[in-house]
Amino acid sequence: MALEDYRADALRCTRCAYCKWIPFDLIKSWRFSKGCPSVEYNHFHSYSAGGRLVTALSLMDGRSTVTEAVKESVFKCQMCGNCDVTCKMCRYDMWPIEALHELRFRLVDQGHGLAQHQPVMKGFRSLSNMLNKPKSKRGDWAEGLDLKRLSKHKSKLLFHAGCQYSHDPDLREAVRNAAELLKKAGVDFAILGADESCCGGRAYHMGYKADYQAAAERNLKIWADAGVETVVTPCADCYHTFKRLYPESGSSVAVIHMVELIDRLLKQGKISFTKALPMRVTYHDPCYLGRQGEPYVAWKGKEKKIFGQAVVYDPPRPRYNGAKGVYQPPRDVLMAIPGLELVEMERNREAAWCCGAGGGVREAYPEYSMWTASERLEEAKSVGADALASACPWCEKNFADAATRNGTKIKIVDIIELVYQAL
Amino acid sequence: MAFSKEAYRELEDIVGERHISNDPAFLDSYAFQWLAELVRPNFSHYMPRPVAVIMPACTEEVQRIIKLCNKYRVKAKPISTGWYHWAAPLKEDEETLQIDLRRMNRILEIDERNRYAVVEPYVICAQLQAEVMKLGLNINIIGAGASTSIVASACAYAGMGPSSFWMGNNSDNLLGMEWVTPEGEIIRTGSLGSGNGWFCGEGPGPSVRGICRGWVGSRGGLGVYTKCAIKLAHWPGPTEYQVKGTLPGYRLPIQENFRVYTLAAPTWDAWADIYYKIYDNEIGYIFHRQYALAGADLGPALWLTYIDPEKTLNDVEEAVKRKDIQDLTEELRISFQFIMAGRSIREIELQDKILDQILKETGGWKVQRYCEKDMAEFTNTYMQRLGHKHMNFVWVGGYLGSWMQTGTPDWVKGYVPVAIKGLYRDAAGGNLVQCGGDALMGNGSSIAGGGNMGLEQFVSYDPADNASVAAGTQHMRDAIVDAVANGFPPGKEAMYLQVGESDEQIWNALRRTPQPLAFHFQRKIKEAFDPNNVGDRMYATLPSEGKP
Amino acid sequence: MDNKKEQLADIVGSRFVSDDPAVLDTYARDNSFVLPLKPWFVAQPGSVDEVQKLVAWANHSSTPLIPVSSGPPHFHGDTVPSAPGAVIVELSRMNRVLRIDRRNRMTWIEPGVTYGRLQPELVKEGLRLTTPLMPRPNKSVIASLLERQPTLIARYHYSFTEPLRSCGVVWGTGEMMYTGEAGSGPLSLEAQWSMGARHSDPKGPGATDYVRLLTGAQGSMGIVTWASVRCELIPAMRKLFFVPATTPESLIDFMHRLLRVRLGDEVILVNNTQLAYMLAHQADKVAALTKSLPPWLLIIGIGGRALFPEERVDEQQQDLVELAQTYGVRLASGIHGATTNEVYDLLLAPSREPYWKLSYKGACEQIFFLSTLDKSREFIDTVYHTARIHNYPESEIGVYIQPQHQGVAHHCEFNLPYDPRDFNEVSNIKQLFSKASEALVSGGAYFSRPYGIWADMMYSRDAQSTSALRKVKRIFDPNNVMNPGKLCF
Repeated sequence: MALEDYRADALRCTRCAYCKWIPFDLIKSWRFSKGCPSVEYNHFHSYSAGGRLVTALSLMDGRSTVTEAVKESVFKCQMCGNCDVTCKMCRYDMWPIEALHELRFRLVDQGHGLAQHQPVMKGFRSLSNMLNKPKSKRGDWAEGLDLKRLSKHKSKLLFHAGCQYSHDPDLREAVRNAAELLKKAGVDFAILGADESCCGGRAYHMGYKADYQAAAERNLKIWADAGVETVVTPCADCYHTFKRLYPESGSSVAVIHMVELIDRLLKQGKISFTKALPMRVTYHDPCYLGRQGEPYVAWKGKEKKIFGQAVVYDPPRPRYNGAKGVYQPPRDVLMAIPGLELVEMERNREAAWCCGAGGGVREAYPEYSMWTASERLEEAKSVGADALASACPWCEKNFADAATRNGTKIKIVDIIELVYQAL
Repeated sequence: MAFSKEAYRELEDIVGERHISNDPAFLDSYAFQWLAELVRPNFSHYMPRPVAVIMPACTEEVQRIIKLCNKYRVKAKPISTGWYHWAAPLKEDEETLQIDLRRMNRILEIDERNRYAVVEPYVICAQLQAEVMKLGLNINIIGAGASTSIVASACAYAGMGPSSFWMGNNSDNLLGMEWVTPEGEIIRTGSLGSGNGWFCGEGPGPSVRGICRGWVGSRGGLGVYTKCAIKLAHWPGPTEYQVKGTLPGYRLPIQENFRVYTLAAPTWDAWADIYYKIYDNEIGYIFHRQYALAGADLGPALWLTYIDPEKTLNDVEEAVKRKDIQDLTEELRISFQFIMAGRSIREIELQDKILDQILKETGGWKVQRYCEKDMAEFTNTYMQRLGHKHMNFVWVGGYLGSWMQTGTPDWVKGYVPVAIKGLYRDAAGGNLVQCGGDALMGNGSSIAGGGNMGLEQFVSYDPADNASVAAGTQHMRDAIVDAVANGFPPGKEAMYLQVGESDEQIWNALRRTPQPLAFHFQRKIKEAFDPNNVGDRMYATLPSEGKP
Repeated sequence: MDNKKEQLADIVGSRFVSDDPAVLDTYARDNSFVLPLKPWFVAQPGSVDEVQKLVAWANHSSTPLIPVSSGPPHFHGDTVPSAPGAVIVELSRMNRVLRIDRRNRMTWIEPGVTYGRLQPELVKEGLRLTTPLMPRPNKSVIASLLERQPTLIARYHYSFTEPLRSCGVVWGTGEMMYTGEAGSGPLSLEAQWSMGARHSDPKGPGATDYVRLLTGAQGSMGIVTWASVRCELIPAMRKLFFVPATTPESLIDFMHRLLRVRLGDEVILVNNTQLAYMLAHQADKVAALTKSLPPWLLIIGIGGRALFPEERVDEQQQDLVELAQTYGVRLASGIHGATTNEVYDLLLAPSREPYWKLSYKGACEQIFFLSTLDKSREFIDTVYHTARIHNYPESEIGVYIQPQHQGVAHHCEFNLPYDPRDFNEVSNIKQLFSKASEALVSGGAYFSRPYGIWADMMYSRDAQSTSALRKVKRIFDPNNVMNPGKLCF
């Protein structure tokens, strides 16, 4: 769809400001009632979904032009999707996050992409990762694990490590643990190693749709050639990209997050815990695994009116409102670890506060990114957690950086690591 | 002296460059307001642009900003949560500075023993309610819902809501408040001004607060309210608002000492009888006609679809054809939501007994389907926090209120048939949502303790469709004609329409009110407290004759 | 002067204008220590039209007007002229109960309607008004409400203007306006009634809040010519309970809880002296009675209205018993020296004659203000301490604490009887009154109704509000004809 396709949505926005908060029914305190990092940090209405819809309208109508302020208001947002959940609390006819994507695509197409994103995008195009790391090093994480390579072996199940796990030595242990765990459970899988490339999701969220599209096509071809039927990934960003974006590009590959697979293996008795981990852990729902991690539903249709003016879609449009994200598997896994006490932060599941890393924010606005992460760490501290666990390397990286910066003692852990330790 | 670069720089010095903007797109995000399209030329969704938007962090910054507005003769338009077309600048030829108070967002104090909380303008109802519930206390959340500013509803509006029946209006609950006048003076009302704390909003002697709330509330037209204390009520429920279920149909479990009912009456006369008996018997915690907002013809189909997360609005089309839904629709024609809370189990049981007797005496009934666990728990969620108030817009994103005016239940039941007939007629052409003639929603009470209430037609139109917008505007005009023809004053629609009218049109309307003297007094108040005319015309005045 | 008399006679009729020195003298002073000053005339208008003409005439002739609705004795100096040449606008002729509406529980009254007069009328309809504590029978209901006198049932006190709703007012400009819901209709009650308006909403016209300018104004803004007032159902069944205590602070948490959960109608805290003053018809009984009563007493009334009144009372009683146990206080249905019936009778009726506060020594100085309940002990100590300094016996200070605004604010009242014929006693009480008031104000007591010397004390603490009030006054009474010299005007 194009930005113009969301014009009616924008006109039907009533500036109710639900997009700035978590769902009101879930508010348990003043401190943790806010849902939109962007407007909390930057304050102007233009930094909320509602405000950005007006910006889109204003630009489309020629009432304003793309200034530095406009660019910042459009891109200084993690695209965490809280607005998309809260808007749909009361509205069936709005898709704000999709409109915001289209606004970014439009700005990038018009040459208004952020300068701060250019080095990353350059690396994405030439090195196939979002971290400007040598392509040849991508598979180094698997050294010594004796994992099947898709280039040599056909496999129905592909383990996709993702850019951050592949290239960040601090996170490498988690992904190695994941692979070992799968082996231990007797799962037959393969990896792409150095041939693995970025899913393209982060490029998409930054507004580079064509770049994303190229990545998607490349990956889908490799998968198809290798007979991949299912992709498992420990990265929430990759998960979302494969699960929600790739089907638009023709993918019919099943997608599963590593934590879902662990949950299944546990429940099937293929792995079990033998060690206790006596710690108080809180779980951070990654945006792309949680509220934006809902299964893709194909839809192509158009608006129609019933009862005179009520707006519906023909055929009915899927309702992505966060309800069907991957929420329970990580919790079940954590609760199954002996001695581990799982405590919930106030904002959880569809109402989780973003880690701050998404949408190109970590790359372009580090201060804001760190502030967003720090807010979440404060929330984790408020429930007395020893550790904050997540299921996304981007979240973990951002939290770890913020914790180091702030001197916060809370431990940032990958759920895979906890599982591995308890085996 | 007009708004200049120098003025901008001076404002920037107050708040820092991060907190002021004159970027056209940013300004458009403040000019764009719900309802604008109903009253603006060419169905424009934009009110006039402010010259800049500024975000102060404290009262002293507000004061300095207002003083600069006086210096540069720029209008000051404060908003807290900022909703409705009157939240924006009103006239193209009035340079207006939009003061966005969202950085003033702290709960300053909660005094549990003396039952009050002190808040800044951007504290919303849901936040304060969550905090005070931890202490077993509650606040009246106004009809516009959980997202609204307490300071705004208490200081600048009457602040009524579904719980006003028991908890009172926010204007009743207003204790001390801090007000930066349009001249930039800081006035602290009641006990606060004398340094005696926040607990009383009156006096000494006559209460200065008596001038603050104008004809339609002050609505940013008479300075800025920067803090207020609000009286808290008892909350006999859980200390955490622990909802269950899947969004959007979250469900708040019903405690043993609560009852959540939807009650119905065979006729509007019987409905009024039920009301008076509830009023006399002093039962009930929340009293509201909520679900009617979706229209009496479609309401049950909509709500039962809404609480099912698998469904979308498309499913309503099929649901209305179902026999059980059709039967329920008839059963719910004259209904309302009623929540009772007991300080003890024995008290709630007695309230129940009293309610049963009232229904027996009046021929009313409990609507079984809506009292079943799923709907009752959803109703509990909805009414206790009002976190779904934006359902007003569920059909298509545009809603306007017509008819809203308050009086006794007997008086209100008098305008119900006129309002129903009018909406059926105006929606017949298909340019308004055809949800039934009765989309009358309203609080069980417009004043503390009950006895006075109003119902408002929730008329849905498509803001993205000019024909529908035009029908909405026409409906408002029709409603005024209907009202006057039937001996009722114009309701909320007149207030909406006036935003788009010229000063002369408004003055003519005000002159025709039965007692225009009030507007002359408001003019004098404005002259005394706003000599440089920094506030806009939302604080409605009439010019001294011959001298507009 | 004679000319003025004629002009007044033209307005209200010669029968209703008086310059009889004896009559004037009754308005020249009251039971307070404000300086006496004789008015020039007393005029008794009989209609709204006459009131309006009087105010217009006052503006034209620069004559101060002092509205007086209640009969004597007066206590706070608000009806004593502060400016020479004043005319007392005595409103007792306007004494009609205009309407009682049982279904909507509203009554419309004129300013001359007194508690003694109104309550029996309401009883016929099964209604009553919550009243101040034992008001004198000739106390004007409207005056009491406008002065924000505390009423006995805090849970009905949703706002400080309760139960006052709409008013007809002739402002100091001479212009007539209706406030509240009535402000949105024509200037005719009959016309509005016929349209179905019942004036239960205090907001108005529109959403305006003009009634708050009339309350606490001591007649300085205008003259209220009628008011609509919300009534309550008379309980079909009632019970009264006592909670005796040796100190007031031991009752405060329990009171907070009662008020919070709205359990009970009347929730009143008094000391033994206060209750003795209320109960004792003869002065010589007071001392013994005081001694026999517990030092402090919380009085709790519960009532059953409308359906199932007995069960209502039972349920409240059981909740009350449980709550008392939780808070470790003793609930008594009687105490030595007073029965619950006796006390309930006092609470439900106007004062006996002569007015109860005068029956002990012939005069009574009153100090009252608002506070939160948790601070009340400090203020009690302040008054006791000041009394000791002035050799006023603590045992003669009646203390009355009345929750207001549903228990957020509390009216704290100290009654200090004295013999008005004893010069030394008068002089001492005058000093005590002044010193105690100063100490209370500096200690944080909020004199929201600043009569007499309290006005300067309060307004000097808040220059901005005072300036704002003066601006307001200039709008509604530009020539300062309405009770000039009071408050900050």
